[in-house]
Amino acid sequence: MSELIVVDAVDKRYVTSSGPVDALRGVSLAVGAGEFCTLIGPSGCGKSTLLGMLGGLVHPDGGRVLVDGRPVDAPDPRRVATVFQDAGLFPWRTTLENVEFGLELQGVPRDRRRATAVELLGPLGLRDFAGKYPRELSGGMRQRVAIGRALAIDTPIVLMDEPFGALDEQTRLLMGEWLLDIWRRTRKTVVFVTHSLHEALALSTRVIVMTARPGRIKSVIDLPMPYPRAMESSDLVALRAKLWSEIREESLRAMGEA
Amino acid sequence: MRVALIRVALVAVLLGIWELIGRTANPLLYVPPSAAVPALGRLLRLESYPDLGEHLLLTVREIVVAYAMAIAAGLGCGFALGLNRLVGRAYGPILAALYAVPAVVWYPSLMLFFGLDAASKIAFGFLLGFFPITLAVLAGIRQVNTQLVTVARAFGASGLTVFRKVMLPSMLFTLVGGLRTGLALTVIGVIVGEVLGSKAGMGSLINHAYGLFRTADYVALVLVTLVLIVGSDAIATLVEHRAQRWTE
Repeated sequence: MSELIVVDAVDKRYVTSSGPVDALRGVSLAVGAGEFCTLIGPSGCGKSTLLGMLGGLVHPDGGRVLVDGRPVDAPDPRRVATVFQDAGLFPWRTTLENVEFGLELQGVPRDRRRATAVELLGPLGLRDFAGKYPRELSGGMRQRVAIGRALAIDTPIVLMDEPFGALDEQTRLLMGEWLLDIWRRTRKTVVFVTHSLHEALALSTRVIVMTARPGRIKSVIDLPMPYPRAMESSDLVALRAKLWSEIREESLRAMGEA
Repeated sequence: MRVALIRVALVAVLLGIWELIGRTANPLLYVPPSAAVPALGRLLRLESYPDLGEHLLLTVREIVVAYAMAIAAGLGCGFALGLNRLVGRAYGPILAALYAVPAVVWYPSLMLFFGLDAASKIAFGFLLGFFPITLAVLAGIRQVNTQLVTVARAFGASGLTVFRKVMLPSMLFTLVGGLRTGLALTVIGVIVGEVLGSKAGMGSLINHAYGLFRTADYVALVLVTLVLIVGSDAIATLVEHRAQRWTE
């Protein structure tokens, strides 16, 4: 498995009104092509910061980030697409126009980008909502539009920052199944940030647990089990307990500091 | 249909009251509609003021020039202050303080500075139109959702693309609203400027008729000016609809 993403001893410090805050300290990790790698950890542990670095939106203060062997210094929509928390759709664009956004920026001709977007609407389950505006869609649909917008530019890497965080539990479970299906068909490399143990265990090939601030890597759990996973199987139940004890410890620390 | 009916009824009632008061009061001070309509006819046939066309044209030209300047300066100032934090923090409070001053206090000094001709009217119309446009740009920029800017950047948008594809559509409603208010205030500024002191333009005719107690002519001139104002607002509404279509 070749290493598509390499994070090497990365530090990040933010300057706030109450002094500097260490968001990340000495974080190193490597993600191979085709992996579904999940970052999990307490709130404020720098998961989103790390994801921002992979996407070229945040610059590290120390260390380096390589994608495909090249250092990341700016967003590169030919290699990396991002799905944001709370969808981040353009309210003046329809479903179709939102999905087309990335292609539009890349100068793809109108007919071709429209064809690509229309083709995506089927698997997104949005065929009947092509002309609707974000405010006319449910939360789950909006998130699928955001995923569609990321898939449309067909990058080898997709970053997802708590894409289902704002959804109710049922929708969230269904969206997880749906995403798994998409991922298995497209074989993209996914780096996924979540707070949900269930999501992490059901979807990932690897889970990276991060510590409370300053964010460091606490442990890495490989999940070689085939999909779809029986969440009540003994090994997953055991892994869930292990994962929870680690996250619990860090969350308590984060709460104690706050 | 019912809205139109209610509207017509209100206008009819107001006209009735106007007629009643006009007939009972001093005819030098109050002109009933029955006298205003013939006066309007005389005005439009160029009997009372043969040079009406020139005055009307002058006022329209003053408005156009003042509004064009207000748009250019308002957009320039608004974006300079809104997009640059340092400039915004340095000059924003000055702008707000100036806006709080009733604009009419500037007019005497504008007349002293620019004279009695068109320039002082243009300057006053510009001054009134400038603030709402600038403030609309500033409000519009504050409305832009920073997450959407981040999204656009992640998809490879340059600064200019972010401006075109995220900022402009986000601010459009506020911006067009400000441009519309700016036009209304520019028109008011120019006409008020003419009424307060001028040698030509609709305002000067209004002043003339009023000063000579030609009250019926005065009312007719006000009606023509009203058409000018309503007409400019109609154009603004048209532009607003265009802008809405463009964002969709």
